Amino acid sequence: MSNRFMSKHSQKFTCQIYFFLYLIFFLCLLSPLNVSASGPAASKINNPSNDLWISVRHNTESGKVTSQVKSVDSTVLINPQADRWTRFRMTQLINYGLFILSVVAVVIMLFYLFRGRIKLEEGLSGIMVHRFTDYERILHWMLAIVFIFLAGTGLILLFGRPLLIPVLGHEFFSVLASASKEGHNLFGPIFFVSLLLMLFRFVRRNIYAKGDLTWLLKGGGLIGKSHVTGGFFNMGEKTWYWIVILTGLAISVSGLVLVLPNFGQGRVIMELSHVVHGIAAIILVSVSFGHIYLATKGTEGTLESMKTGYVDIKWAEEHHDRWAKECHDNDRLISAEDYAKLQGRVVLDQNVSASPLMEETK
Amino acid sequence: MKLRKVSEQVVVEDAQTSLESNATTSSGNAVSRRTFLRNSGVMAGGASIVSAGFGLGMMKKAEAKEVEKGATTQVRTICSHCSVGCGIMAEVQNGVWTGQEPAFDHPFNKGGHCAKGAAIREHGHGERRLKYPTKLVNGKWKKVSWEQAINEIGDKMLEIRQQSGPDSVYFLGSAKHNNEQAYLFRKFAAMWGTNNVDHQARICHSTTVAGVANTWGYGAMTNSFNDIHNSQAVLLIGSNPAEAHPVALQHIMKAKEENNAPVIVIDPRFTRTAAHADHYLKIRPGTDVPIVWGMLWHIFENKWEDKEFINQRVYGMNDIRKEVAKWTPEEVEKVTGVPENQVYAAAKAMANHRPGTFIWCMGGTQHTVGNNNTRAYCVFQLALGNMGVAGGGTNIFRGHDNVQGATDLGVLANTLPGYYGLSSGAWKHWSGVWDLDYEWVKGQFDGGSYEKKKDKDIHVMNTKGIPVSRWIDGVLEEKGNIAQKDNVRGMIFWGHAPNSQTRGKEMKKAMEQLDMLVVVDPYPTVSAVMHDRTDGVYLLPAATQFETYGSITASNRSIQWRDRVIEPLFESSPDHTIMYKLAKKLNISEQMFKNIKVENDEPLIEDITRELNNGLWTIGYTGQSPERLKKHQKNWGQFDYTTLKAEGGACDGDYYGMPWPCWGTAEMNHPGTPNLYDTSKSVADGGLTFRARFGVERDGVNLLAENSYSKESEIKDGYPEFSEKLLKKLGWWDELTAEEKQLAEGKNWKTDRSGGIQRVAIKHGCSPFGNAKARAMVWTFPDPVPIHREPLYTSRRDLVEKYPTYEDRKSFWRLPTRYESIQAKDYSKDFPIILTSGRLVEYEGGGDETRSNPWLAELQPDMFIEIHPRDANNANIKEDDDVWVATPEGARVKVKAMITRRVEAGVAFMPYHFGGVFEGKDLRSKYPAGSDPYVLGEACNTAMTYGYDSVTQMQETKCSLCRISKV
Amino acid sequence: MARMKFYCDAERCIECNACVTACKNENEVPWGVNRRRVVTINDGVPGERSLSVACMHCSDAPCATVCPVDCFYTTDDGVVLHDKDICIGCGYCFYACPFGAPQFPEDGAFASRGKMDKCTFCAGGPEEDNSADEYQKYGSNRLAEGKLPLCAEMCSTKSLLAGDANVVADIFRKRVVKRGASVLNKGVSYQNASLRASSVGKDK
Repeated sequence: MSNRFMSKHSQKFTCQIYFFLYLIFFLCLLSPLNVSASGPAASKINNPSNDLWISVRHNTESGKVTSQVKSVDSTVLINPQADRWTRFRMTQLINYGLFILSVVAVVIMLFYLFRGRIKLEEGLSGIMVHRFTDYERILHWMLAIVFIFLAGTGLILLFGRPLLIPVLGHEFFSVLASASKEGHNLFGPIFFVSLLLMLFRFVRRNIYAKGDLTWLLKGGGLIGKSHVTGGFFNMGEKTWYWIVILTGLAISVSGLVLVLPNFGQGRVIMELSHVVHGIAAIILVSVSFGHIYLATKGTEGTLESMKTGYVDIKWAEEHHDRWAKECHDNDRLISAEDYAKLQGRVVLDQNVSASPLMEETK
Repeated sequence: MKLRKVSEQVVVEDAQTSLESNATTSSGNAVSRRTFLRNSGVMAGGASIVSAGFGLGMMKKAEAKEVEKGATTQVRTICSHCSVGCGIMAEVQNGVWTGQEPAFDHPFNKGGHCAKGAAIREHGHGERRLKYPTKLVNGKWKKVSWEQAINEIGDKMLEIRQQSGPDSVYFLGSAKHNNEQAYLFRKFAAMWGTNNVDHQARICHSTTVAGVANTWGYGAMTNSFNDIHNSQAVLLIGSNPAEAHPVALQHIMKAKEENNAPVIVIDPRFTRTAAHADHYLKIRPGTDVPIVWGMLWHIFENKWEDKEFINQRVYGMNDIRKEVAKWTPEEVEKVTGVPENQVYAAAKAMANHRPGTFIWCMGGTQHTVGNNNTRAYCVFQLALGNMGVAGGGTNIFRGHDNVQGATDLGVLANTLPGYYGLSSGAWKHWSGVWDLDYEWVKGQFDGGSYEKKKDKDIHVMNTKGIPVSRWIDGVLEEKGNIAQKDNVRGMIFWGHAPNSQTRGKEMKKAMEQLDMLVVVDPYPTVSAVMHDRTDGVYLLPAATQFETYGSITASNRSIQWRDRVIEPLFESSPDHTIMYKLAKKLNISEQMFKNIKVENDEPLIEDITRELNNGLWTIGYTGQSPERLKKHQKNWGQFDYTTLKAEGGACDGDYYGMPWPCWGTAEMNHPGTPNLYDTSKSVADGGLTFRARFGVERDGVNLLAENSYSKESEIKDGYPEFSEKLLKKLGWWDELTAEEKQLAEGKNWKTDRSGGIQRVAIKHGCSPFGNAKARAMVWTFPDPVPIHREPLYTSRRDLVEKYPTYEDRKSFWRLPTRYESIQAKDYSKDFPIILTSGRLVEYEGGGDETRSNPWLAELQPDMFIEIHPRDANNANIKEDDDVWVATPEGARVKVKAMITRRVEAGVAFMPYHFGGVFEGKDLRSKYPAGSDPYVLGEACNTAMTYGYDSVTQMQETKCSLCRISKV
Repeated sequence: MARMKFYCDAERCIECNACVTACKNENEVPWGVNRRRVVTINDGVPGERSLSVACMHCSDAPCATVCPVDCFYTTDDGVVLHDKDICIGCGYCFYACPFGAPQFPEDGAFASRGKMDKCTFCAGGPEEDNSADEYQKYGSNRLAEGKLPLCAEMCSTKSLLAGDANVVADIFRKRVVKRGASVLNKGVSYQNASLRASSVGKDK
């Protein structure tokens, strides 16, 4: 290890120290002094019921286990997964989740500060092209709004206790959490349905095409000024799409398991579903930060595609060159005048735009 | 180890400290737990939002109406489920039963309960109770008034009486009546003029009572649950106290843990009791005598028997030896299925650990050879010398809470109260007690005679009536074949369920053939729904035992007093009030209540207690006056946990409940007899000898005890029962007072209503009923020496020839009774699985009462059959499948399959508590609205088959045959 | 300060279910909610043992750790209780509890479970002690009256013990010693004493 602050001699000495420490560590692991987790200390008289109670402790009973109380998991005396799940949620999921979300948010903020808004090289031309149908826009916004609602309520439920209770107090937070839980459970299936519709609507345009890998390797052109090629959807959007679909399905399926406990599923299945749901949700939310940034503040001309369904041809040429070429070839360009008519606006002159109520005058 | 209230749980001081630190009092100076939340992490902002009411709006607390808290009264009563007799502290506020506290002081249970006892307070809820008198009109249930119901029932009864005679009305009484009600019920039947009166004991321990009483004098549990603390070994056969008498296990485990007593369980199923046993012997159902003789074989072989005891106190053991010699280990294994080493181990355990106690229940009694079984058990204990010692004895666990009392008070077709029998002498005795003219009582009966004894006509008054196990044959059998004037036409189910008797299909027919069916019960019972009648059914709501008061007798013969917890719910009425109303309608109330005060139609319980005190000299129900009983109740805690004796205090010297026999009058202050036949104590202090009941000598052999006598006995040898003549011979007659002499003249210890004969006998250290040998061979029974006979429906056709059943009888308890004609046919191919039945801890008896308790019903929602995996696989049955269980008499039931190794391959088990489904058809809609139990299921006894004990007509519900197939 | 604990002696438990119904009785627990249950291992074969289990009132309660609305609290006696007014019925405590103590009154779609209910060691809840509100929501508060949970008080064989952990441990220790001692007194090895299972001979 190169190190400017130590002489070569002391570096060697330090290495030797480390070596011996590692050696001692490994020896300790192998040492018979290491008490095994399961068995009790060896004794001369064996309690004949040892095996029975050990199997109970690990929920591996071999005989028939019964109870007159017939509820979910009533015959499980000890669920060894319970503790693991609790520690996962309270330490790893909350801590790492918060960390990941914060880091992503900070990175994006820093990116904006340093890089600024990605403007079009040639600016907006005013010539438009139709990109998304009304149905597609409604679908997107429905999914988006439901997602944001679910993300918000989910994050309240996950981070509420450490972050919000100190601020709001137990009683008020309980009201908030209860509303969040009910809303989250109600809208979850709606998310699932929207997701499926999204899947069917856009899947063909998101299949891998030639040139996508190049796009990815070049970082989508975000870093540096290299030129990247893309179709209707470029690799960036495709990546986002598949993250949404895959994590979204994971969230939906696990969510359905969690939200419908009336099929008698045991706690181990619920815990597993919760883990999947939580991890997938953190991933989806953090990447959604990127999508939301890029789709709004991050790049010029993008939001219009979802707001109106039309995009500037210059925007298309810069971000989706192969699709733009298609539009040119198939004569789908719309002049600024025609576009204004579409919008319901009449252009009296270049500088004035009047409301639709005014009659067209020449 | 004496259990104190505080030491077994928490030290009260610690609890007090915690109380003080929390400063919680019911007066409200509370540092409430809300403070914790308010103080934790709430900043000013949050707090102000909370206090603005914003946050609490959606989480509004339910505002329960603050009821003026009345003072809490504590009422002492006894659980109404089983015969252990656990104490209960009921807490009542404003007449509502609001709490149930453990009765830590009670010597039987020390506050402990089973699921049923812990749920007793639900009787105060009573949501599924029968709420008002109900009549079936055109297939619909109609509410009627008490007056109308009593009038119509009475009129119909009188009509039947006029047309067919009094024997055509059947009085089916109850093991759940308290002693006073049971006594009154027997008297009622006698006043009406019939011996067709019976109750659950018939189908429960009737073979015990007959077998055991004919062995040594009394047919009851000889020691007590608490006495088991002294046992060095515990043997249970056909008994599963873990489910039927859970609190008994408190005592059995004390013996097991502290005395290292081996626990031996003999049962076809690996029961929950067997799970705590040291030795478990799995026998084929119906092979009790072989297994006991098998054990005795080893005992005789190794000379482990108590020769001195046998010589002094047992008659006929040599006849037993001859029979036992046939039961070699090979034969035992062939018949029972138990290998030699297990039988030997069990025998050795009992022989090496004396005194050992012998416990049995329905597994041994409910057979065609039930009386053989019970006598074999007694002989076993006699051979080991385990009788009459603390820790030994035959500890027979009775069933319902007052089946012992109802049996003692004679709610039976073959006797009057106190086992006096039905001879004219017995009737004269009781007529005297009732203060009635004997001729008048006789005149109430049908004047005919339908049975002969040695060519002499016997008056129907002196013949045994029809037992409950056969009541349906009283209806269905050809009139000419029944030994009474006419068929049974009117049936009164007074506190008895129908689904505890066998042959349910025929019972349905019988119910439909009746002129009238009356049910008097807190719940409708299956009687209300199992038939297809459209008219002529009355349901009268009786109050439970918590809505009345009186005494009951626990299995160990202790008599306990119950106080009334709450007033009768809805329109229910205590049983004795209903009896008075009905008796009045039938014009016999004057005679029936001659010396019993009646106020507002309710007879005074204490007057009834005093009347029965005045009559039951045979079993010593005479010393337990209401005053003494109430005193015992108030001082539960002063009785020792093991000996049941009070040392000091208001009941000084008494044994708890003055277990009968409590000799003489109450003034004599006899303490009761905790362990029967114990000669180590004087009779005055609760000791006893074997009863001289069977004569003085037989075939030249002395039947009286030889060189064995009670402590302080002045007669140092055996002696016959005491009478005026014997007293005169002994020169003790003049020790009676003048008044006593008046009543005792010409009488004996059973019929002397002054109690003087008993008093003087005891004064001289003698047992009033004599000092005799127990007889191992009962020469008056069909099988004098108990032998094995195969069940009527048996799968072992190879053994039928060697061990056949009895011959058919033309008239037995007034009815033709079949044995060999049924066993002759081979059903084992079509019905290959042995079917047995038994209990569950959550339910009791016919089950309507416990299945109407939501806390219990939730734990056993489905009727089921236990099948071994091998049989299940053979029939392609999986866990929880619906299956048909068909039996040879044509009935079948649809139940869920439970696959378990509890039963062995070839044996199946069903619990018998369910009802309300009949051969697959759900009968819930037939219940009166709001009275259907939460849980319904097929009744096991719908499918159970014909088979009756050769002495008592006990039904054979422990071994039949069945075929199980998937639905 | 006394720490309250339960202990069920599996050698004595006979699955009589008195503890289950006593709890229902004392706390008027509705159908479908079972604060306490008895579980039997090796059902029907030699070696069968039963255990009564409800909330164990853990010192480091995982239910309290995981609750999203932090509605649990531990009293000075070590009893773990919760506030039903705060509870949102999410079910996480049920997942976190190794013993399955939390119960829910409903079992509806969209995870509408209702407020969590569980064994309170007969110590009620945050409402005022022995008030009507407390009884209606949480059941009886016996601890405030100086009594102990009814399940343990009504156990038929005194296998379920409840109370000060030190006292309970002491009682159980004495029991084990007595079981062992009574055996050793007779010269039989301890091995054969405490877990007596199958019969002496082998089954056929």
